[in-house]
Amino acid sequence: METIEVDARRYAWCRSRALWLIGLPIRLHLEDVHGAHQAGQDGLLRFAARRVGDSCALALNLILNYDRTIPDYAMRSAWVLERLQGHELCQPCWDLIRGMDDASNEEIVDRCDFLIAQVCAIIGETPNILTPEGQFPAIAMARDWSNLLDAVGEQAALPYSWMPPT
Amino acid sequence: MSKASTRQVTSGDAKSRSELQRSIEKFHGVSLKQVLGEIEYLRDAGDSVIAGGSLAYGLGNQLSDLDLLVTGPTTTDSSRIPLQHFINSLRVDVWKLDQGHIEESFDRTEQALAEEGALLGSFGDVDHEDEFKLLHRVAFGVVVDGDELEPKHGRDYRALASDLVVREYAERMRNSALLAQLAFRAGRPIAAVVNARLAVEAGLNAIVLYRGLPFSGDKWLRERLDGQMSDLAQVYKPFRQLPEDPAQDASEFVEAALSTCVEMWGLDLAIDTLMLAASWRTTDLRLTKVGAGQLLLSANLGALWSLDAREAEAWGLLASAGAEEPEATWGLGECDTEVSLLCMRLYEHGLLYLDWTEGVTIEELKDNAGLE
Repeated sequence: METIEVDARRYAWCRSRALWLIGLPIRLHLEDVHGAHQAGQDGLLRFAARRVGDSCALALNLILNYDRTIPDYAMRSAWVLERLQGHELCQPCWDLIRGMDDASNEEIVDRCDFLIAQVCAIIGETPNILTPEGQFPAIAMARDWSNLLDAVGEQAALPYSWMPPT
Repeated sequence: MSKASTRQVTSGDAKSRSELQRSIEKFHGVSLKQVLGEIEYLRDAGDSVIAGGSLAYGLGNQLSDLDLLVTGPTTTDSSRIPLQHFINSLRVDVWKLDQGHIEESFDRTEQALAEEGALLGSFGDVDHEDEFKLLHRVAFGVVVDGDELEPKHGRDYRALASDLVVREYAERMRNSALLAQLAFRAGRPIAAVVNARLAVEAGLNAIVLYRGLPFSGDKWLRERLDGQMSDLAQVYKPFRQLPEDPAQDASEFVEAALSTCVEMWGLDLAIDTLMLAASWRTTDLRLTKVGAGQLLLSANLGALWSLDAREAEAWGLLASAGAEEPEATWGLGECDTEVSLLCMRLYEHGLLYLDWTEGVTIEELKDNAGLE
């Protein structure tokens, strides 16, 4: 048996949000990166890469520091970059958040793929909800985390528009 | 001359049904007939199918999903979330809503636009854009099958949907402009430059929408500027990438961004002006002394933060003025330097909210930018 070295509420809150970030928003941003690359949409590619950097930094901070709560979007990247100072993935996150106007499209795609692979190696893989084979396993995983959150008295991490009426 | 230029809300630019058909056939080898067959089970008698999103607006690519709305005056059930379908490699997200729900959303829009209070975030934010997308899907979408929706009381869906997001983005621009300046003052250069760029992007998005294009989320901004509004693409260019060393270059970057925003919309974005219209709102924070330590506690979050002596003194000033009462608010203009610094740090940690006592009305935008 292994003790979870963090308070149960905080563990469930931070882990579920990090996995949700990896499970859906980061997948969407990465899909945008690859779709834009194939279509030669340079602007979309660079914007989506920024969001990859943002989301990866946030997910990492949730898992590495168990920081709670998450600030407004406007302050998020500055806050997580400060909290990740010294971590090897801090600079790759900042490079993407900053924007890579002069880099080639291929380099940006490679950097996004690399960063997400590194972050997933730390946080754990989740089923890809955007694919037919991953959709139901991803929803099942979200349900499991929702059950744990309920059990420890925390609100589920799903978007509020997905919540059943109260 | 104002960058917003002449308004063309009635024209829109949604791709026609046949162009949409060509796109999904080219990317996925799927016809609209196949799509309609796949989602037939969701339709009640009289329901129409309306396409929105990037593919319908001529922006998408081979990995874009197809966003559909199933709705009508006699729809019996509504889904709380879009329902996902896969046809070959095409992902189809279908949102089913009875028209009454849609009209309620437009009722709220009319009410919000008629009021002078802040609208910012009340219909969604960067992370939750469903309602903006819904309103624009109804107003600008491509009717794939069935009749066009008959608006309640003959209301103008397009004008309402456009005004709502123009105002939302104008208020986001103002919010980011204030945060950029507050962060710079507080010695937070990364937050300063991030918000300066967000302010410019929000101002540009407001113009794009004011010129009559449908809402499609922030991610398409540069594609739209490069493809359809080259005058604005040049305005955006200096801000697409943040300075390599924000600690050294934040001042110049923030100043240039604010000047650009003022030139676009004519609003007074000086920090002293904006602070008079903004206030901080607390969560459930209270200071707790334990031995020599001063701890700021949020019982709801189950979290503690250790304050140094200056921070504890600053919080003490706020607490003596009622900041530990539930939902307490205080104006930014009421804070001295130390209190302002502490408030900014708390906001940066998600422990305070930033509220606005007044919104940016469409009339104010038009007057300041010299628009018709």
